[in-house]
Amino acid sequence: MTNGKFFESHHLMQIREKLLQVDDSKWSIIQTLQFKDPTTSLIISLLGGSLGIDRFIIGDTGLGVGKLLTCGGLGIWTIVDWFLIMPATRELNLTTLQQVLYV
Amino acid sequence: MMRSRNSLYLILSTACFSGYLWLFWVLWFGHASAEVCIIKHVTDIPCPSCGTTRSVMALLQGDFMMAASLNPLGFIIIIIMIVVPTGLIIDCLWGKSYLFFAYQKSEHLLKKPYVAVPVIAGMLINWIWNIMKAI
Repeated sequence: MTNGKFFESHHLMQIREKLLQVDDSKWSIIQTLQFKDPTTSLIISLLGGSLGIDRFIIGDTGLGVGKLLTCGGLGIWTIVDWFLIMPATRELNLTTLQQVLYV
Repeated sequence: MMRSRNSLYLILSTACFSGYLWLFWVLWFGHASAEVCIIKHVTDIPCPSCGTTRSVMALLQGDFMMAASLNPLGFIIIIIMIVVPTGLIIDCLWGKSYLFFAYQKSEHLLKKPYVAVPVIAGMLINWIWNIMKAI
């Protein structure tokens, strides 16, 4: 559970059980997976949120462009994203892990 | 990023609704300025998209030259503000996913270096121009 901070706490047990079931051949791929740090996303969001950089960083290009074109959603979306970016990053990490686990 | 069709449509409809609400607000009260831009307030430097509202307003009055000189991004915004609601209405009425697939394709395309690099360069040039104009 050293990677615990990369995921939502309520997903951790589910991930643990899946990791125990998974075939050993996938182990090397799982170990090389790169996860995005939610704290880094938050720092980027605080500094460059108005330009949508936080959304670009987590691979959410569409919404990033949306934020960039609208001065960070008239400033409101920027503030909302200070709170949403950490869960969004954890969700992205879960998707990344699931792509390996369920293929 | 993977997102379900319905959650994307919810985000897009909220964004479009807010956009039109903002436009009507500005039309009603008759002033459009960079009051809402955090970057402009904090650093006194305009952001790449400062002046877009004024540009869209100029486009609505048919003044294309004025719109281009204020901020060329206004053209992109007005296209998005026409295409997205139309796509949303068509998809919701007929239960299709045209807009969802178009969104995913454009997102995929924007990540390609041969598209991303010119777009970023254009955005930076526009930003420098914005700063020079002190919009």
